[in-house]
Amino acid sequence: MRSAFFLLSHSMKRVRSLVLTMSFLVAGFQILLTLVAKSIEKANAFEEMSHVVPDFLRQLMGPSFVALMSFRGIVCVGYFHIAVMGSLVGLMIALATEPAAEIESGFTDLVLSRPLARHWVITRTLALILLCTGFSVFLMMLGTWAGLYWLAPKGAEWPAPGLIRSLALNLGLLMLCWGGVTAAVSAACRRRSVAGSVASLLTLAAYLLDYLARVWEPAQSVAWLSPFRYYSPLDRILGAQIPGRHLWVLVSVAVAGFALAYIVFARRDL
Amino acid sequence: MDAPAIRIVGLSKRYGGLLAVDNLDLEVSNGEVFGFLGLNGAGKTTTIRVLLDLIRPSAGKAFVLGEDCQSNGLRVRAQVGYLPGEIRFYGDMTGTETLDLLARLGRQSVAPHYRGQLLERMELSSADLRRRIREYSTGMKRKLGIVQAFQTDPALLILDEPTEGLDPLMQESFYQILYDAQRRGRTVFMSSHVLSEVERVCHRIGLIRKGTLALLSPVEEVRKLAARRVRVFFEREVDRIPARFPDGYEIVEIQPQCWTVRARGALGPLIDALAGLPVRDLEVEKPRLEDVLISYYREGTP
Repeated sequence: MRSAFFLLSHSMKRVRSLVLTMSFLVAGFQILLTLVAKSIEKANAFEEMSHVVPDFLRQLMGPSFVALMSFRGIVCVGYFHIAVMGSLVGLMIALATEPAAEIESGFTDLVLSRPLARHWVITRTLALILLCTGFSVFLMMLGTWAGLYWLAPKGAEWPAPGLIRSLALNLGLLMLCWGGVTAAVSAACRRRSVAGSVASLLTLAAYLLDYLARVWEPAQSVAWLSPFRYYSPLDRILGAQIPGRHLWVLVSVAVAGFALAYIVFARRDL
Repeated sequence: MDAPAIRIVGLSKRYGGLLAVDNLDLEVSNGEVFGFLGLNGAGKTTTIRVLLDLIRPSAGKAFVLGEDCQSNGLRVRAQVGYLPGEIRFYGDMTGTETLDLLARLGRQSVAPHYRGQLLERMELSSADLRRRIREYSTGMKRKLGIVQAFQTDPALLILDEPTEGLDPLMQESFYQILYDAQRRGRTVFMSSHVLSEVERVCHRIGLIRKGTLALLSPVEEVRKLAARRVRVFFEREVDRIPARFPDGYEIVEIQPQCWTVRARGALGPLIDALAGLPVRDLEVEKPRLEDVLISYYREGTP
């Protein structure tokens, strides 16, 4: 246990710059979004903006379009903006490919020639992912509140704390889900580049599948395969509760991913 | 400790269609310095990695100090210091950070005095240890690797090509560290390509060829298998070659006043065969381990 703690602290030290940079960037992005929402609100331009958006896009988005065209909606965009989602899922892929990177570098040989059980390598990655997910999502929420306190104009409708919390929870679980999937891939690979590429391709395929299912009916029959299907922030902004089943699916994929990572890593030749 | 330091029983490891180690049996006693030899791909590193439970055998068992390397891997590794053949540390860590991390991952404590002694012998200064490893040369990384393997003063040292990349002075320092460890009763299991090194430091050698043990013998015994070269110098040119040389002797080179003879066993029969010839001098070369081992590498027998 003591050895595993040293392994975790070593990993945290190595990734701290990446995690801090990414977390401050998403927090900063939230502040920037509040600034944008403030300027639109001040110019009273939400209605004008809605006219600029093409009809097909308005129809595609349905009622969520109206919800988005508000101070509250713009502030919440960060929780499902593709750049934010991409960056945070990318962060998970970077963290979860550490076992493959250590096999590639030969560092695993040095670590596991010590009296350290193999499962600690995966447990370290799991702990690292939990800590970093929690930290980056927490900082993102902090950025949202800081932006609102400093920049929100008087009379603007703030997103409710419960809404921010549930969006953050949903985003955090999506990150954990991809962390688990990548950990399973990483546990079976000898090279970080291979593990990272496979995980990235899976992520991209899942994202496109979910997107396709929204615009092309035949794809809906297989859309359940995509974890992004279970990430529905727009519904939440519209006032609906996030279905508990969605959260459980994301948690289950994460748990299954890590369970597979434990099994594969324990059995493989290093 | 009654159990041998290493016991390998019927060990086989298959990678798909390739049989890397084939039914290997081997025993290394406590306090012994054992040289594990073989060409690249012969199965040396695979065997070492099985001992450390980094790879799982396809068949057979391996034991270290009486503990099964697979089912009791943690207890085994608590007593082992390992130097990999290709040592790669994290470049962004300093030497001190690396040594500290690897020491903390073990269950044995590191005596600061002993580590200091190792660092001094390997000529790694405090300034060197404060530098990031990406700034280290290959030799410095090797020296750091040696220190990390020895620093807990383990009962068994498994060293894969330990002197590769070390300059002659550092090789000498390494041998001194090895002698000291052996004097304290530590067992050393080392693979090497450097036959002169094996000849110098090992008590016994095992030669693995295509995954099977081709030779297992004390170094002295192996040396005895080697043919000596005897140069016979004459007072004048000799054109009469004895019709028949005794068994185990063979003239390999003839010059007007000098013959080179390859001799196995005692030299008495050679001297008898040379009787009557104007012999001025005899020069006997010490048998070399290399001569035997190279023939084993090639065809399996000397």
